[in-house]
Amino acid sequence: MTLVPVTYKGGIYQHDIVIDLIEDLGGYVVQKHVLAQEVVLQCFVPKDDIELIREISRPIFGEVTDSPLVGTEIAIVSMSLEIHHLPHPSCDIAEYVRRIGAKSNMVSLARGPGKRITGLNDEERDVINEHDIAVYLMGNFETCIEHKMPILLRGIEVPVVVCGGPDKETLVRIVDPPVEGYVGGVGRFMRRTKEADQLDKLDEIIAEITRVLEKKREDIAKDPLSVSPARLMNLIREKIPAILDVTSPTPLTVQMAGLRVKLPYDTFAPELRRMEIEDGITLGDVAEIVPSRMRDYILVKVLPFSETNTVI
Amino acid sequence: MLAVEYFEVECPEPVGAGYYKQITNDVLLDHNLLKVIEKIHIYIDPKIPVFIAVGVLKPITTVVRVGDIANINPQDSKMTLVITDETYLASMLKIFWERFGKDKVEQPDRFTVVLYDARADPRELEQVVIGHPGESVNRDLIYALRCVAPEGFRLRSERFENGKFSFVASENTLAEDIDELVKAKFALMGETP
Repeated sequence: MTLVPVTYKGGIYQHDIVIDLIEDLGGYVVQKHVLAQEVVLQCFVPKDDIELIREISRPIFGEVTDSPLVGTEIAIVSMSLEIHHLPHPSCDIAEYVRRIGAKSNMVSLARGPGKRITGLNDEERDVINEHDIAVYLMGNFETCIEHKMPILLRGIEVPVVVCGGPDKETLVRIVDPPVEGYVGGVGRFMRRTKEADQLDKLDEIIAEITRVLEKKREDIAKDPLSVSPARLMNLIREKIPAILDVTSPTPLTVQMAGLRVKLPYDTFAPELRRMEIEDGITLGDVAEIVPSRMRDYILVKVLPFSETNTVI
Repeated sequence: MLAVEYFEVECPEPVGAGYYKQITNDVLLDHNLLKVIEKIHIYIDPKIPVFIAVGVLKPITTVVRVGDIANINPQDSKMTLVITDETYLASMLKIFWERFGKDKVEQPDRFTVVLYDARADPRELEQVVIGHPGESVNRDLIYALRCVAPEGFRLRSERFENGKFSFVASENTLAEDIDELVKAKFALMGETP
């Protein structure tokens, strides 16, 4: 059964029918937002059953759309949190990827700006490495990008998409070491992205992120995960009730090959390790449970089949 | 854009120059400064690195008076002022408190000020000066140029004299001959610093 990421948008009335249907079909609801009279569900559903969900949600005016970024956590790396980069373009881009299902976190560097003084400390590096992909938002000058990128990419293991003012060909030429994706013509600007050409640029960023993540998904599919992170999410919600009291918008953040659990590590890590998934197999058997560099959270890294010899 | 007589951004990287022209325009527009600038020339060289902004301001001679922001309605023993623009309200209230005393000045809501037992001629009151918009221009312009300059350029030197300004910023210590460069950029606009 292939699960595909989709977004369901509809009225609050009878939306539980859709949730029940998705769960009965073997899908997972990753995020649920209730906005006044509207409900937005980000979910994984079996590929063959999308039409069925569309049909059942038609009478209640629900809409199902593809969202390739559902179930991914993206680091938007901004050079600083100064007015030079915020709210445009950093927030614009972070918000835009959120609209199509991704969970985006803005990572701002302590020593991002400047050419000579730029640097990346170990905490920033580790936080970026906890994500599925990092989107670097660079400035307008190719001299600076060329000079800074080797420093800012030191120790980064996740795929990177670089956005910068110069065109794509120039970025490909100057960024060293090479990264997975490039988007040209998006440097520093100080106006809201609302014109058609600016929105096209945002779509180009999404397309590049999707392309890079698709490749990562294919790599994961070659050596499948022992357990689906979306399934783990539901299990944790059932078996560790403390997660229900967490007020964060996404107490459990699904990633492509893991899960961020927003509970204190020292208190809950042993409990998570002991948590039974199925037939006596515990979470500790199929996943690494490590402290996250982000606050006091727990990071669950699901191990691939080749390491555990089990798929559940 | 039309309000500025001369507006150029000079940079060895033409793509970067285009972006910075847009950024400068957006920032000055956001801060309502385009109408006070007559000429502005920006030079950026990311290789050195240095950012220079030089320009000339339009003379600002206007002052804001009570009559500009309020309508005065004299009644028997009191005067009611209906405020149309709140920008200078605080400084106006301060002047009234000093002149009439706090117990005589009342502000029942955002757009109304009442003066009790005010022994003043309404026409004279209308002429009281409550604000000098030109005073804060220098400060606003420095702030705006800080937003325009690349963020890493934290070593700055600013100068405001006789309606002309120069703003130099760099990541490294500013070179000793920077004044020569500033002079050369003023010359491009047909001005002297």
